[in-house]
Amino acid sequence: MKSYKTKRAIGNAVGYIILILISIIWLFPFVGLVLQSFRSYATEYGGMVDYLVPKHFSLDNYKFLFDSSQTNYLLWYKNTIIIAVFVSLFQTIIQLCVSYALSRMRFAGRTFLMRFWLVLGMFPGFLTMICLYFLLKQFGLTQAGAIPGLILVSVASCGMGYYVCKGYFDTIPKALDEAAMIDGATRSRIFFTMIIPMSKPIIIYTALVAFMAPWCDYVFASYVAFGHDTSYNVAVGMTRWVWTNDYQGYFTRFCAGGVLVAIPVTLLFMFLQKYYVEGVTGGAVKG
Amino acid sequence: MANGAEKKKKSAASLFFEALGKGFKEVGVTFIEGDIKTKLSFLIFGLGPILRGQILIGIALLCSEVLFFYYMAGFGWQYLSKFSTLGTVATKKVGRKTVYGDNSFLILLFGVLCIFAIIAFIAIWYINVRENRKEELLLKQGKKLPSNKDVFLSLFDKNFHKTLLSLPVIGIFVFTVLPIVFMILVAFTNYDKNHQSPSNLFTWVGLENFKNLVSFSGAGIGGTFLQVLLWTLVWALFATFTNYFLGLAVAMLINKKGIKFKKLWRTILVLTIAVPQFVSLLYVMKMFANDGLINGYLIKWGIIKNYIPFWTDPMLARITIIIVNIWIGIPYMMLIATGLLMNIPEDLYESARIDGANPWQMFRSITLPYMLFVTGPFLLTQFTGNLNNFNVIYLLTQGKPQSVNLAEKAGYSDLLITWLYKMTVNDTNYRMAAVIGIMVFVVTAVISLVVYNMLPSVKDEEGFQ
Amino acid sequence: MKKKLVSVLMTAAMGATLLAGCGSQEAAQTATETAETVAETATEVAETAQDTAQEATEAVEEITDYGTGDIKVWVADNVVDFTNEQIKAFQDAHPEFSGYTFTVEAVGEGDAAGNMITDVEAGADIYAFAQDQIARLVTAGALEVVEDSNAEAVKAQNDAGAVGAATVGGTLYAYPLTSDNGYFLYYDKSVVKDPSTLEGIIADCEAAGKNFYFEINSGWYQTAFFFGAGAELTYDTDDSGNFTKCNSTYASDAGVVALKKIAEVASSKSFQNGSAVSNATNCGAIVDGTWDAQAAKDMFGDNYACAKLPTFEGADGKTYQMSGFGGFKLLGVKPQEDDNKLAVCDALAAFLSSEEVQLARYNAVGWGPSNLNAQKSDAVQADEALSALAEQLQYTIPQGQYPGDYWTLATSLGDSIISGEIKADSSDDEFMKALTDFQTTCESYAQ
Repeated sequence: MKSYKTKRAIGNAVGYIILILISIIWLFPFVGLVLQSFRSYATEYGGMVDYLVPKHFSLDNYKFLFDSSQTNYLLWYKNTIIIAVFVSLFQTIIQLCVSYALSRMRFAGRTFLMRFWLVLGMFPGFLTMICLYFLLKQFGLTQAGAIPGLILVSVASCGMGYYVCKGYFDTIPKALDEAAMIDGATRSRIFFTMIIPMSKPIIIYTALVAFMAPWCDYVFASYVAFGHDTSYNVAVGMTRWVWTNDYQGYFTRFCAGGVLVAIPVTLLFMFLQKYYVEGVTGGAVKG
Repeated sequence: MANGAEKKKKSAASLFFEALGKGFKEVGVTFIEGDIKTKLSFLIFGLGPILRGQILIGIALLCSEVLFFYYMAGFGWQYLSKFSTLGTVATKKVGRKTVYGDNSFLILLFGVLCIFAIIAFIAIWYINVRENRKEELLLKQGKKLPSNKDVFLSLFDKNFHKTLLSLPVIGIFVFTVLPIVFMILVAFTNYDKNHQSPSNLFTWVGLENFKNLVSFSGAGIGGTFLQVLLWTLVWALFATFTNYFLGLAVAMLINKKGIKFKKLWRTILVLTIAVPQFVSLLYVMKMFANDGLINGYLIKWGIIKNYIPFWTDPMLARITIIIVNIWIGIPYMMLIATGLLMNIPEDLYESARIDGANPWQMFRSITLPYMLFVTGPFLLTQFTGNLNNFNVIYLLTQGKPQSVNLAEKAGYSDLLITWLYKMTVNDTNYRMAAVIGIMVFVVTAVISLVVYNMLPSVKDEEGFQ
Repeated sequence: MKKKLVSVLMTAAMGATLLAGCGSQEAAQTATETAETVAETATEVAETAQDTAQEATEAVEEITDYGTGDIKVWVADNVVDFTNEQIKAFQDAHPEFSGYTFTVEAVGEGDAAGNMITDVEAGADIYAFAQDQIARLVTAGALEVVEDSNAEAVKAQNDAGAVGAATVGGTLYAYPLTSDNGYFLYYDKSVVKDPSTLEGIIADCEAAGKNFYFEINSGWYQTAFFFGAGAELTYDTDDSGNFTKCNSTYASDAGVVALKKIAEVASSKSFQNGSAVSNATNCGAIVDGTWDAQAAKDMFGDNYACAKLPTFEGADGKTYQMSGFGGFKLLGVKPQEDDNKLAVCDALAAFLSSEEVQLARYNAVGWGPSNLNAQKSDAVQADEALSALAEQLQYTIPQGQYPGDYWTLATSLGDSIISGEIKADSSDDEFMKALTDFQTTCESYAQ
């Protein structure tokens, strides 16, 4: 009995060691990012260095970001929030609608629609970038109008991503619907007063995923907004700081900007993590 | 595109023609047996329903007809008429002023839209004929037609799906279907940096671009294509399975009895999902640079003499990418596995333990089969997702290192998707980008179809309920 | 009398245009053969009408109303404020352009060409770009020919290299802005004792455990070795920006000497591939351009120093001076559909590239002028980085036109060396094979 206990203790100790090692590896880049963001570009050096801890801690990089006479960072930040909020809102509504129709109703062309969308999803998205750009341009939604344009494109195609949400609806027993219909409730009434209130976890999951995506959108956003600094999102605006030669010594400012982007998104994520886990687990099983 | 779905049932084609024949017959019968209202409706959409009091349906049909002719006459025709050549009037100078000629791009784009509009027009015409037929038959049987109010209200009950799906379907059509058809057609043109609208015209070239793809001599890119394709497949395989098994392992470790602070460990790991990738991956890219933090410290501590070329050596770059991807991907799998592991009945393990099984045996015979069975579809979507995993590759290496041995600016860590992106954005070589895009589709579709039908957990979709 | 005639002409021209406009619209709506002929005649009428209209405008130049419009200007982020100030001065000096509003956007010289080519219509009316993009821009129809009188002034006032860089075929397509797009050596005085030989610099860096930065996978920097060893690579272009001929002697003994040296440099443990000060860590010396002068000063502090590029000793025992490109930044005007707007753009581009503005730009951000008079000014003469560059420029060739594919091909060549596909101890035959492939591919870019 004792050997079992020691064995178990040793097992736990090894487990802890592994977990601590993993944690260090996982946190290292983030710690680095935060530390570098405190290295002043003005008094120390704003480019790349081969040491981790700045010689003097300073808030210069953050001051720079908040100084709208020097950079449009705050504007980019605002743009990204606007895009994220609207995409999140509309995408949730549309995916709920699509999922309900496909999960609950049987109509001619339903399987065809689902198969067709599945096949469409196998085309790489970037392929259509140039075409989307000129389509948006017809509506005046590029450059100065890039923000509504980006919202429109994200929202327009999101119906195809109904899988997780439909999977959730599939688990709600159909008998409930049938009972309500015998009582004389219409389809829309069932949808609004029964299904939606029961779907809080999946609504939060959908909204959360949709909210997080625009923070990372570099490719299409830069393609649509080019030449118009004021319609960039944070990813487009800040990526230039790392890549382009016009921005010498912007590395620490990138780090600071990155920290400011990561904080709210991470907090939101941590806060709603429970729903996220529920969503991905359900989605993984349903496929 | 419907091919994919059609291939599934061999009789699909014959079914289609059968339906078509039936449709023609129905139209003919409707015309012969129909009254004057119906006959007029063949030309003026919705006239019959309007005259029979079905105002809503009638007006909707009429509006679509008016809209169609308005579009074609005012806008569409000028593009559709040039569709076969994609424009012939070249841009020229009048004095110092530039007078732009035909815009091949818009001709192709709106030409495609016109063709779709014509198909939709025919479909609506057919719906219109059938609606007339239905109404006439109902009246002949002495039944009453539904009131306009009923028709409207059915949109929220019996026909609620039409209300729910109309916007998403239109959105997907305009912003997904139309662009995809457009780009497929671009693969058959010479649209590239030397044929750029509006200054220059481009035109149809048949299969020339596809010939280039499979040409292995001289300027052909066949060899490069195969190499990039191979790495894409290898990458997807590694990325999917390393994350799967390591994620599972970490989940089991955290789930282990006796490990405390479970929530803390999970939260630390989950950071990589929460922090936007363009921040975390760009930082990691700099960290592993030849002159970056990692090399800097390793040299300073005297562990290595020369820097390790994480991104510049082809093989090392690929390995580093897969390792960094583990950092990004494990947490995702861990979250999924954590939930699923709890679903395995504890007494299964209990009885195994009594039978004297060691932990590894238990994993082999209980945990793994269960997980693989349940997450089969997930693995498949992960795999196809990794085939097109743009962010990780592009933010880390942008496909580099390049080599004199690879054509069209491909690099050793390029996936098909990043290669396609570079062709589009850096070179404006749309013709080849379109071809590569079609290839990506073919690869994804073939793998999905084959694997999907092999999955044990794939049953009738209704079976889930 | 003359005025009256002009107005009659203009009315006639306008009437014709109107008619032509109606005609072509009708033609578009009917689909018969006759309609096509109508359309053709209509276009012809429109053309003649436009010609007349244009002659008319030219005749009344003094009283031209330039109308209204928006003009978009793209420049690098660090000169946005400067450009705004200058445009304000321009507006004050030209009240006749008061109908125009000017917006300046930050688009780097690297991105500008790509963006212009993606969508010419949405692109800027006036934009700054690096000269290596010019042929690409001309082919894509994104550059307007420089107006004749301006062209004469540009040719007379700027250094020959800059004018050459702005010329495609025999036509001047852009206004030179700077003549400082060349590279030289920045180094740390405390590390590098003698910057005159490459071997010495690398040895010093190795001894001090510092990095030596040279971007060998860039077609721009690579030429320092190839041209230095005596190999050649130039292209001939025709007027529309197409490459007609490639003159290359890379596949030669001189080419082998150069490539071997590159491979040898890359094998040093202090070697780092790169040319951006902000990305350089633990740097002992870096080959870079004037745009990084401030960053280099920040990085090296008191030990900041610059010099022309060093000499290197080839495998054949001879000593070669490193060469390279002398490069230029240019300002281009987009083709316009409106003569008046084009005239305003011409005037603004000429102004932004004039002697005074070039000098002011040097004072504001330190960009070395291409204007001959501005180059002679005391302030420019006294600049440390610019004088190192000036010294280096004696050994360089002015950068002509190169196809976009050349740059990526050169990157591939460099990457192959860095990744060890081509090693320093490879045989001469292997070097020769790589160079022959390279040269053949270069030649294939010209038709």
